[in-house]
Amino acid sequence: MNFNFTEEQLQFKNTLKSFLADECSTNSIRDGWTAKEPFNHDRWNKIADLGVLSSNLPEKDGGFGIDQVALSLMIEEMGYAALPEPVAEQIFLINDLIPLLPDSIKGEIKNTYQTGSNFISVAHPLSPNPLFLNDAAGLLLFNEDSYQFALTEDIDFIPLVSNDPSRGLSKINSIHKSVSSSKEFEKINTAVAARGALMTGCLLIGLAQKMLDLSSLYALDRTQFGKPIGSFQAIKHMLADVAVKIEFARPTIFRAAHSLLDNNPKFALHCAHAKYMSAKAAELACKNSIQAHGAMGYTWEMDLHIFMRKAWSLMACWGNEDKQQDIIFKTLTSSEEELGVLYTF
Amino acid sequence: MKINFTKEQNIFREEVRSWLEVNVPKKSLLSLDTKEGFEQHREWEKTLNSGNWSMVTWPKEYGGRGLDLIRWLIFEEEYYCAEAPTRVNQNGVFLLGPTLMEFGNHEQKSKFLNAMAAGDHIWSQGWSEPGAGSDMAAIRTTAVLEGDHYKINGQKTWSSRAAYADWTFGLFRTDLESERHRGLSFILVSLDTPGVTIRPIPQLDGEPGFAEIYFDDVIVPRENLLGEDGEGWKIAMATAGFERGLMLRSPARFQQTAAKLLKLYYKNKDQCSPMLQSKVVEAWAESESYALSIYHTASKMLAGGSIGSESSLGKIFWSELDHMMHQTALKILGASAELADSSEHDAAQWIKGFMFSYGGPIYAGTNEIQKNIIAERLLGLPK
Repeated sequence: MNFNFTEEQLQFKNTLKSFLADECSTNSIRDGWTAKEPFNHDRWNKIADLGVLSSNLPEKDGGFGIDQVALSLMIEEMGYAALPEPVAEQIFLINDLIPLLPDSIKGEIKNTYQTGSNFISVAHPLSPNPLFLNDAAGLLLFNEDSYQFALTEDIDFIPLVSNDPSRGLSKINSIHKSVSSSKEFEKINTAVAARGALMTGCLLIGLAQKMLDLSSLYALDRTQFGKPIGSFQAIKHMLADVAVKIEFARPTIFRAAHSLLDNNPKFALHCAHAKYMSAKAAELACKNSIQAHGAMGYTWEMDLHIFMRKAWSLMACWGNEDKQQDIIFKTLTSSEEELGVLYTF
Repeated sequence: MKINFTKEQNIFREEVRSWLEVNVPKKSLLSLDTKEGFEQHREWEKTLNSGNWSMVTWPKEYGGRGLDLIRWLIFEEEYYCAEAPTRVNQNGVFLLGPTLMEFGNHEQKSKFLNAMAAGDHIWSQGWSEPGAGSDMAAIRTTAVLEGDHYKINGQKTWSSRAAYADWTFGLFRTDLESERHRGLSFILVSLDTPGVTIRPIPQLDGEPGFAEIYFDDVIVPRENLLGEDGEGWKIAMATAGFERGLMLRSPARFQQTAAKLLKLYYKNKDQCSPMLQSKVVEAWAESESYALSIYHTASKMLAGGSIGSESSLGKIFWSELDHMMHQTALKILGASAELADSSEHDAAQWIKGFMFSYGGPIYAGTNEIQKNIIAERLLGLPK
């Protein structure tokens, strides 16, 4: 039993953190919004050069073979920076899923994405409007009982407007040509839904932490009644409540990531738990952060909403709190004897 | 990161389980806040000690087994699953014990830790005073050094377990000229000492779970000072950290409540709305999160880290969770949620726990004080 991170896991996190601090400023995100081109190809290529996009591919395929725990730490940083490019989606929903896919689809994906430098988008009933299809080379699409892979050029789609201008969404009208399969559908569908839940959970924890940090800084800076507003208990307690939520959501993320790594049969429950807890943390972070900022928090000018908007979108997709609750309840009532104090690990 | 139990840890779990199966009293003990129940619980402490189970993390020479925090968590899990009696000496084993280990000298450790493990000394807490509740630095009870002893005068209140306990530990003002948190010292006082008067205070459940302690020229030997004269605040903060952080409320307690809540819900689900189902899920999710977080913290401590202001986060989390779970249970019970006769109704245990859960956000430093600590020490907001 050792719940500590390895040096290597922390090194991946810290390298990415400092990269994003330099390369993913809120100004650069706003530039993407103004140009209506939120996907910054220059930054995507730098992330590819850094090795992040292929980081969890096996070494024989040009990656570092890093594990899901390290990925979860890295994805939290992508949330913290509100990174617009779909890096988390690529590494967690495509790279991490590849070993489970049948050879026909695996081959297509490998040919298309060239060790990760081309983006492949994902659509699923829980997240039906794929991200950045315009910028993608292909799409992995999950239906009710099958899944298929198509090249972007074979898809007819129209743009949708997200409340988060950093998310370029599309609606798929039709697919002219694709490779389809229903092999081991239940297993693969559960695997991708769980990864979607955990991925959005990791991003939400990063976003919640960022909103808390921004609010703490603002509360130190803004004065009223001759004092920083952060000296008033009404503000302190609101932000402390957010810190509590984040603290107890974070370990659920690492446990879920460890369950994927460890092939734990309860990985789907653990991923649902992680999304449930982090969505609740992010929800409170949004509410209390905007309140701590007062009217400034309600403006377009203040950076806070860059993070809030992303959090609102991510709470909703890949199964919101309500859907995760459903998964948890079904598991609790179907195998009651295997949950609880003796079955945490 | 490898969050699985090792083979050795599982063998240890089996050992704990088999011992508890044989030794946990088949019939529940009387309430520990009655005189007779208190002595029954003292007997149980002695039974635990006979198997060397008083505090597995303590060194062997002080009555422990010299095991790590992960083993302690495993012990606690088995303890709650076996429905073993509440630890009447939790002020001692979970709070003073770790404090003695860090700040006590060799004589103090061998005298007090062994007697604590044996159930010979049951401890109460002596922090609050009528004018010093949340503002603990306002303490006015004095301990004046006169040669080889202190002479104590003043009053403590809300002293948990003091109605029947043997000893109390707490903060006393040893420098009469001092103000606030300076000039306080951490002193251990036998409640048998002449000049000590105990006035029990009945709690919400009608039983005297805490008491007032009056000190009238009480003479305490100088060797009962823990650490240095004037160091009391620092030592008290460490004790409070243990209390909030890890020891007082191990996760198994809440996971067990969540599991019982799920059973209760299942039994009564035809009369429940989806709102209650959602609360039952929340109970599982939060108690599980608390367990994960504590294993995370224990791992950090094993790797040489320490527990600081983070302990305030945990105290808020478990106290709110405990209250929410009991509130939910009473809602599931519907109109029978007021039936307090434990021989006939499920409700009685939930009502008792429900009332107790109102104490959680108050004791060990109110949640409002914890939020100030979080804001000032973790978020960097100004005083």
